[in-house]
Amino acid sequence: MRLPLVLATLVAAPLAAQDGGQLYATYCSACHANDGLGATGGQFPPLAESEWLRGEPDRAIKIVLHGLSGPIEVGGRGYNLIMPPQGAALPDDQIAAILSYVRTSWGNRESAVTPQQVADLRLATAQRDKPYTAAGLLKQHPIPREPSALRNLTSRIYHGQWDKLPDFDPLEARNIEEEHDGRISVTHADREDHFGLVWEGEFVAEKSAVHRFRLACDDGARVVIDGKELLKVDGTGPISADRSDEKGIRLEAGAHPIRIEYFEARGHEDIVLAWKLPGGTSRWHYLSESETGPNRGGRPSIPIEPTPERAAIYRNFIAGTTPRAIGIGLPGGINFAWSADHLAPELAWTGPFIDAGRHWTARGQGAQEPAGHRLVRLSRTPAFPAEARFRGYTLDPAGNPTFRITRPGVVIEDAYRAREGHLLRTLRSRGEETRTRVLVADTGSIERLDDTTWRLSDTLVVRIAGGRPEFDGRKLHLTLAPADSVTLTYIWR
Amino acid sequence: MKSLLSLPSRLHGLLAAALVPGLLHAGYLREEIPLPPGEVMEIGSIALMPGDKVAVTTRRGDLWICDGAYGDDLSQVKWHRFAEHLHEPLGMFWKDDSLWLTQRPELTRIQDTDGDGLGDVFETVCDDWGINGDYHEYAFGSTPDREGNVWIVLCLTGSFHARSDWRGWCVRVTPEGEMIPTCSGIRSPGGIGFNAAGDCFYTDNQGVWNGSSSLKWLRPGSFQGNPTANRYHQLADLPAPPEPRDGSRILTERERFPELVPPAVILPHGKVGQSPTAVITDHSGGKFGPFAGQVLVGEQTHSQVQRVHLEKVNGLYQGAVFHFLEGFEAGIVPMRLSDSGTLFIGGTNRGWASRGSKPFTFERVRWDGKTDFEIHTMSARPDGFELTFTKPVDPDAAADPGRYAMRAWTYLYQSKYGSPEVDDSRPTVTAARVSDDGRTVRLVVDGLVRGHVHQLDLREVPSAGGEKLAHASAWYTLNEIPHPTR
Repeated sequence: MRLPLVLATLVAAPLAAQDGGQLYATYCSACHANDGLGATGGQFPPLAESEWLRGEPDRAIKIVLHGLSGPIEVGGRGYNLIMPPQGAALPDDQIAAILSYVRTSWGNRESAVTPQQVADLRLATAQRDKPYTAAGLLKQHPIPREPSALRNLTSRIYHGQWDKLPDFDPLEARNIEEEHDGRISVTHADREDHFGLVWEGEFVAEKSAVHRFRLACDDGARVVIDGKELLKVDGTGPISADRSDEKGIRLEAGAHPIRIEYFEARGHEDIVLAWKLPGGTSRWHYLSESETGPNRGGRPSIPIEPTPERAAIYRNFIAGTTPRAIGIGLPGGINFAWSADHLAPELAWTGPFIDAGRHWTARGQGAQEPAGHRLVRLSRTPAFPAEARFRGYTLDPAGNPTFRITRPGVVIEDAYRAREGHLLRTLRSRGEETRTRVLVADTGSIERLDDTTWRLSDTLVVRIAGGRPEFDGRKLHLTLAPADSVTLTYIWR
Repeated sequence: MKSLLSLPSRLHGLLAAALVPGLLHAGYLREEIPLPPGEVMEIGSIALMPGDKVAVTTRRGDLWICDGAYGDDLSQVKWHRFAEHLHEPLGMFWKDDSLWLTQRPELTRIQDTDGDGLGDVFETVCDDWGINGDYHEYAFGSTPDREGNVWIVLCLTGSFHARSDWRGWCVRVTPEGEMIPTCSGIRSPGGIGFNAAGDCFYTDNQGVWNGSSSLKWLRPGSFQGNPTANRYHQLADLPAPPEPRDGSRILTERERFPELVPPAVILPHGKVGQSPTAVITDHSGGKFGPFAGQVLVGEQTHSQVQRVHLEKVNGLYQGAVFHFLEGFEAGIVPMRLSDSGTLFIGGTNRGWASRGSKPFTFERVRWDGKTDFEIHTMSARPDGFELTFTKPVDPDAAADPGRYAMRAWTYLYQSKYGSPEVDDSRPTVTAARVSDDGRTVRLVVDGLVRGHVHQLDLREVPSAGGEKLAHASAWYTLNEIPHPTR
């Protein structure tokens, strides 16, 4: 019975051999996935054929040592996450083993990493106390560009004003250039607006396969391969997921004539063209100078709207008010954001309520701008005396909120609903014989129209019934007396 | 699976995938609870309600109530949305006909006063802590303690900084809404709850000043180890928390600062998990298997549930962690275990990936009465450890000290992110004495190291019936070595 003893000892032994695959499975695979494609169907960045691994290993070693935070694009897709630093937890030999495994797996064909390389960079970056950003790292270690699959590329520049792709054939080119790097780029144009570009050359297919091509552009473009139009994005507009096109075409190994037509009307201009082979692990290869994919930084839109019967609520960070924001979307496109820090409606707007896409994807960083229009920032300081406290709210059966505020001896209710396209607000005070002064607005452009009506902005007027409004030339206040009820009607025009 | 055949086709796809139960290992049956179709149910809180109802909140802020989650036929589960779009809630319980919810900005008491099935009163019980718009300023809330207080752990800003009042602290909120700052030194919590004795514990994640993730005891007045937010003591005229030496050891620093409470049970990074979350105690009195009174800890990255046996030695909590349940569909965040013995887990992997590859999940685990061969408890003794088992051990094998392998280490206590395992040591099991009933093995160990995690591997100790241990490793955090009695 000696064998079990040997086994038991082995089980207890540390990972002395530094099995990179085993270490990867333990420390990395939850996010990057065992197949290197990124966990949860690629919600996390892939390592398989990642351009970030290309060339020298320093870039990857630094990320593992110190982490990486914020937006990054990998394989044409944007991510905004945090990779925690591993340098303080994993020794040099384990990091080297993991990175060697990563750089030689899933189609990656980069050099192995030695513990000495890790040790050298650990020493060189010992003063670093925060994670890298993608932009900062790219400055230190630019990703080497892979050769383009375009050969014998020429560009022709045309001048003209178009809002759709023109027929370039009858037009006379202003200039013809050879593009030796095989990359198409709008920066080679001689002006920023009202021009067209036509590139011609050969796309060299390394093997016979279905090649997928992807085009995104600002403004229009089309791609013709072997004399047939493959991709087209026409009209004017910015680069976005909507303004992109992607199709596959079977190409035999060898050179295929390719023609790319492009026009720019006004404003920003860019074109992104890439191709890939079939299969989940294969990566996009760029034929354009720009490598920003249409998914870059994009997040899905998740609009929240009230129903005709019930108001919508949205408690999250709303840009323009304080962190304890309570967004309310009333039927009819009347919206406001109530600050539970300042105890006041600080933003009011009309139309669409709010988009939750920012907060309901990835980690939900940042504050969301209101979705609609005619946005007015009503105030930005506490509306009640300092000892006033937020006590919550009630919702009536239609979801209309009444916020509750207390001061010593006093309860104040602040109720809202929509009526005939206006926002109706009722303030009530109950309790002891204490008056409460309430800030109504401080928009910077308040103008008295009559005894009960003030213009708060170009688009918003408030009518106040009761409460003895006072306007000091800058701020508009009212005073709530005990058992008093004051009605404010916010009217957009 | 017969019940599937009669389902409306719209539900069929969802339920067919969901209702295939998974046997975790002998005795524990894991089942996915069908979720409302089309909804994104990234579950952040679970509350057990009267009438076998279960309430959950999602990271999107919706509060749903589920009917039928205890039923034998989960296809009969019914859901209704009780409230919408609250602010990233993480902690909920039912008390006084209300749901009490810890959301990012406040503790809220929610009621349905008109009985229409929708929450209509949202009373702000306490909102005395700071938030500044940083997404990482999470607030995890407990169930009420024996005095009715809710304990809330407030994550640091971005998990690194203190940029809003009381970030990095634990506060208690009384039923009247008073906030009592209770402990300092917190980094990035994942869950909070009570052990069988009613003491409060939370999980804190590996990072700065946390060499490894761990389960920590929130002794009132204690410092939990991360000095980033120490300055907030000035807000309430509390004594200044300790300023530990960077690169030291927890043991060294706590001997300088008695208010530094060491992690009760270290959950060794990588070996046990990577992101511990919920803390609950088995109050089922045996209905959830033989581990009544033990603490269960959720694990987000590894989609697991770990089991913890706690004991108090020389005034400090310490104990052992064992792997327990695994294979959940997403990263676990909240858990609740009913007195009737049903474990509910909720999970999400948005923003933080997990081994379970679904974007979100709601599952239950029930025990069918079969017991696996497991280490039941591991306790410290002045000269070693005592193990108890769920079944009698093979007395000959278990008496062979060569079948127990041990390794001990600790972590750097430092401002850098995490730590390697350091001060490695190899304690040796020199004797193993098996009790008459075969349920207890007393290990005599040469080379115990105070302050170290002690990993014990005993894969080659079978039960008397020849079974292998379902989980053959234990990790004991030996904060204190018991004094010999007498």
